[in-house]
Amino acid sequence: MTKELTYLKYLKQDRLPHQWCPGCGNGIVLKLACLAMEKLNFPKKGTVMVSGIGCSGRSAGFFDLDSVHTAHGRALPVAEGIKLANEELNVMVISGDGDLFGIGGNHLLHASRRNTDITVICISNAIYGMTGGQCSPTTEISSKTLTTPRGNVDTPVNVQALITGHNCFYARSTTFHFNHAMKCIFEALQHKGFSFVEIKSQCITNDGRRRGFKNSYEMLMSYKENYKINNNTNALEHNEIGIIK
Amino acid sequence: MTKRLLQGNQAIALAAVKAGLNFFAGYPITPASEILHELVNQETIKVLQMEDEIASINAILGASLAGAKSMTATSGPGFSLMQESIGHAHMMEVPLVIVNVQRVGPSTGMPTFPAQGDILQCKYGSHGDYFPIVFYPNSVAELYEFTFNAFNAAEESLSPVILLSDGYVGHLYETIEEVDYPISERTLAPLGTSNRHFTGLTHEDSMPVTSDPEVHRKLIKHLEAKQKKVSRKYNNYEYIENKSSDILLITYGALSRAAYDLKEDFAIYRPVRMFPIVEKIKEIAKKYKEIVVMEMNAGQYANEVERLLHREVKLISIMGGKIDLNEIWTKLRRIKKGK
Repeated sequence: MTKELTYLKYLKQDRLPHQWCPGCGNGIVLKLACLAMEKLNFPKKGTVMVSGIGCSGRSAGFFDLDSVHTAHGRALPVAEGIKLANEELNVMVISGDGDLFGIGGNHLLHASRRNTDITVICISNAIYGMTGGQCSPTTEISSKTLTTPRGNVDTPVNVQALITGHNCFYARSTTFHFNHAMKCIFEALQHKGFSFVEIKSQCITNDGRRRGFKNSYEMLMSYKENYKINNNTNALEHNEIGIIK
Repeated sequence: MTKRLLQGNQAIALAAVKAGLNFFAGYPITPASEILHELVNQETIKVLQMEDEIASINAILGASLAGAKSMTATSGPGFSLMQESIGHAHMMEVPLVIVNVQRVGPSTGMPTFPAQGDILQCKYGSHGDYFPIVFYPNSVAELYEFTFNAFNAAEESLSPVILLSDGYVGHLYETIEEVDYPISERTLAPLGTSNRHFTGLTHEDSMPVTSDPEVHRKLIKHLEAKQKKVSRKYNNYEYIENKSSDILLITYGALSRAAYDLKEDFAIYRPVRMFPIVEKIKEIAKKYKEIVVMEMNAGQYANEVERLLHREVKLISIMGGKIDLNEIWTKLRRIKKGK
């Protein structure tokens, strides 16, 4: 007997399959969000999904909820406006690292400072995937991208320090660590106040292939090798994933 | 009905509250800050001081979608920052009120001096085609009245409506009657009641369609038709006929107050709904040999009027924030003498 995929009720199934590349991590995050919402029994009416611009920005349109696809970088102030205008609503943001830390970085600084009760899921793939693979604010030092052909020289943004510095919920996981990522989102959704989940995700099309990965499976395996779970710390090392409340 | 001595900016804030404002987000800027100052003392309104004007307009955009009547207020530099999201709000059809108390630009310009340099930015500031409704009153009483109109037009057209003011009218104190003007109620269902998708992408039935030109043409046509229809309700202008003059002086905002002294010598036309341009001007203009637009910029509205009337329009440009009757009179006399 096959198990009924009840979490699919949170998606507009007539819009599936999604349009992301084969091997993309965005679909995994979509499923994670649905599973977490189902576990918490979130009502479809009363939950709002907000996204920014980029590949991940297309996420909001797949949910069978009222959803807003904002301008580039502006998911957070829009989500804050929604939440503050109607505090009964569950407000979630799914967006990318370029959107949240690059063009929208100032809003992240202030949304966390204001501690607005919203949950942000960042699909952090360290690349501007939609525009062809340019260096992003989370690209690692020496990583080769379209705009850093000799390797990136700038320090990646320290999201953890920014969020925990304002005493907000911060969790980091990867698309490989499915159950852990799910736990992160599940706990973030229950957190009262600003919560931020950074999910390291793979872009084979415009990032991995330039860095010598043959396919997205290899990228997922690299998350398995490189990241260790540590849920009992106040500060995650760069190779650790975990939850800081 | 009570009489009150109010500042222009204060009148906007108080009228907004009466017109049903629930949510305000803004960033301090001269000469618009008094609107924020007034609203933080209103207990029924949620007021946010944001990190910048981009955050402000996006916060009110979210709040409006969530069911709150929302407004922001700024001046030129902030208005420039808001442009992308104004286009976004037109595309998503979100009712908003954006107040722009103009100061001398470009850039930081002369922050405490009034100007009318943002006229074209109201209409063309964001990328792509959109058809904004823009009001520009010239007195405290009118600012009060047109704040109601701005909220009503926003709700009726489901679009961001711009209420222009300037450093003079915004800081002017006048005694006004606090009239309770009629209010248009919200028709857009708030977020959290359905499964709609609001997107800035070209869309049909709230789903993105980004490779069908026909869908895009239809969408833009719909936006244009809607704005035209709603704006017909607000054909606001002031016309002071002068049968002994063959010159029609077109002027608006703070500057038009100085022009009232010239009504013995010229016919005066003052648009209040700046955009879409009130068509009545075509009919009125026919009665006069000479059309003169007088404004506090390098000829922004003059070009729009010229384009609409298909005839030459003369320009009197008052720059630098100083309204000097002598300067105005000298320039007008030169035109009168045909020089």
